[in-house]
Amino acid sequence: MPATVKVLRRPAPGQTSYLRSALKGMGLTFKHMINPDKVTLQYPEEPLELSPRWRGTHVMEVHADGRPKCVACGLCPTVCPANCIRLVGGEDDMGNRYPIVYEIDEFRCIFCGMCQEVCPVEAIHVGQHFENAEYTRERFVYDLDRLMQQDHPSTLLWDPSDPRSE
Amino acid sequence: MVETVTLTIDGLEVTVPKGTTILQAAEAMGNRIPHYCYHPGLSAPAQCRLCLVEVEGAPKLQASCVTTVTPGQVVHTQSESAKTQRRGVLEFYLKNHPLDCPICDQSGECKLQDYVHEEGRPKGRSREPKRVLGRDDFGGDVLFYGDRCVMCTRCVRFMNEQAQDPRLTVVERGNRSVIDTFFEEGVEGSPYAGNIVDICPVGALVSKDFLHKARAWDLDRIPSICPNCSQGCNIELHVRDNLVQRLKPRDNPDVNQHWMCDYGRHRYEWMNRSGRLLLPKPGEGRHAGGNGAGDIALAQSLPEAGSWESVLGDLADLLVDARAEGAEVRAVASPFASNEDLGALRRFVDALGGGRIVFRSPRTDEELPLPGFPKLVRRRDLAPNVRGAELLQMSRVGSDDATGGLDDLVGFEGILVVMGDDLDDMAPDFGAAARVFAFLGPQVPRQLQAVTCLLPTVTHAETEGTFTNFEGRVQRFWPGLHTHGEARPAWQVLDLVAAAVLGDGTVPESAAEAFQRLADDHAVFQGLRYEELGTRGALVNDPVPLPGA
Repeated sequence: MPATVKVLRRPAPGQTSYLRSALKGMGLTFKHMINPDKVTLQYPEEPLELSPRWRGTHVMEVHADGRPKCVACGLCPTVCPANCIRLVGGEDDMGNRYPIVYEIDEFRCIFCGMCQEVCPVEAIHVGQHFENAEYTRERFVYDLDRLMQQDHPSTLLWDPSDPRSE
Repeated sequence: MVETVTLTIDGLEVTVPKGTTILQAAEAMGNRIPHYCYHPGLSAPAQCRLCLVEVEGAPKLQASCVTTVTPGQVVHTQSESAKTQRRGVLEFYLKNHPLDCPICDQSGECKLQDYVHEEGRPKGRSREPKRVLGRDDFGGDVLFYGDRCVMCTRCVRFMNEQAQDPRLTVVERGNRSVIDTFFEEGVEGSPYAGNIVDICPVGALVSKDFLHKARAWDLDRIPSICPNCSQGCNIELHVRDNLVQRLKPRDNPDVNQHWMCDYGRHRYEWMNRSGRLLLPKPGEGRHAGGNGAGDIALAQSLPEAGSWESVLGDLADLLVDARAEGAEVRAVASPFASNEDLGALRRFVDALGGGRIVFRSPRTDEELPLPGFPKLVRRRDLAPNVRGAELLQMSRVGSDDATGGLDDLVGFEGILVVMGDDLDDMAPDFGAAARVFAFLGPQVPRQLQAVTCLLPTVTHAETEGTFTNFEGRVQRFWPGLHTHGEARPAWQVLDLVAAAVLGDGTVPESAAEAFQRLADDHAVFQGLRYEELGTRGALVNDPVPLPGA
């Protein structure tokens, strides 16, 4: 069946005005200007409040003496679906197992939070953080020192008062 | 005719030889009854109490590892009483267990982990503090974590029965009992002590060499043959990140049962060596003999590192010319090369008119037998395929540290082929007089200056093939590592050149075809088929042990 085509004739130049549409649009703008329920946030002066379950760049928890809590068990590189964690375990002079190399490629990371969920010693966490700009790609591979220095709050993957979402 | 017994295990009828235990009969039908103290290579003390099963007619649960089968017996391994028993036993095992799986090297291949995961209680009920013992150095390669021990005493029995060198014992009683050493040196110096790490079902005995190196679930396990002596123990390469991380024995009742020696176990680093020859290329110095002007022209016409086609083509041209002028051919082989490589070298040399092939093999005066299984000996020849080389009429030269013995080749003016021997003890101008000097090997030769053509080959860890052990058992190994650069198996390189020289286009396309041709060419290998070697190997037609091996 042939489609029916409706041909609209374009008004000739000089015979039309956009003033009405322009006033209509500006009317909406002025209406929002005096509207008390503003949704626009004056970022970066006003910081964004993140959900407690926001999953951003990682944080490595540290012991009181400054050692990382990680015991290099190898579960996070095993569970990581994006394969972004590199871990080489070793033993320190106290006989404790610790990560000699612990690197997370934040570019590869998909921020699923499974590393935090699987960690048996609650060492690695995803964090409430999103401002990650860097000048080079290499800077997005966070090494152990950098992960330990992250000072943003870590994520709550579930509500502590309702851990099973009941 | 073996007398057989028919019994029923979990509703399935099974017929096994008389004298078999219930545990072995169940295993034969694929039903693995949990156990710790039983090990097929050791006596069974029936003390772990985990393999208890219900036998109809018996008043109590029976330890399946020591109860022999009787006709018409009806066994239930999954009955309520057997399961309750196992759950209870496992709870007691966890009473003092530190649950330090995240830092335990056995994690992932731990029987306590497996069994508790399968049928243990999800939570312990003990409120008592756990006993803490810390760790102890048992000497040699062995570390002991007493807290993780389940007191199966496999290690004690291995040292008593197999090594027959009692070094370990159980001290104290009740829940304070622990494995300990008699002397300060522990198991240090016992040549088979590494096996106690393998047979420990939990993480109580761990290897110092492997400590914290890799997780068990990250390792690829590739069946292979130990390349460190002519016993040819069946092993597994445990590989991660394209590096061999450790060697573990693989069962073969004809060769090594369940064991391997520490000498072989700890010599795997060379498989990870760098400094590999990556691309085929003409040698750096070019040989000095012959027409000088022509050589310079040839050197300029060849690229620094060529493609296989160009380098092999040039080598074939050189060989055709040399052969036309009646040049002699000599070869140096290596006892670390596979049967396929040695067969191809023999064929290659014979195709060029025949000549003497020699090899140099490291050798020691000391044999290290395992008293509990006397067939397993760390042999005097410290290379895997000495027997294979000798079966192909190659002769051993040089001294026991695999040096010297090549003096007659120093001024040799014919075609010289070196396969797998790095000739590190020779002078830099070795082979300078040779008309063609082809070098095949995995490593860049550090000494040689006068090589006509450097051809990178793979190590046995990177390819498949066969070795012939001291008694003439041909055994297969499988590839575990990725190849470096453009290295190829030596048999392929030699066959390509031979085909180009002879104008005969048949080149085997796989190790199986290369082996098939070896079997066709040589009477000792006649009748062997690569696919039928399986994981246990097969004897050659003339299985006489090497004199003095």
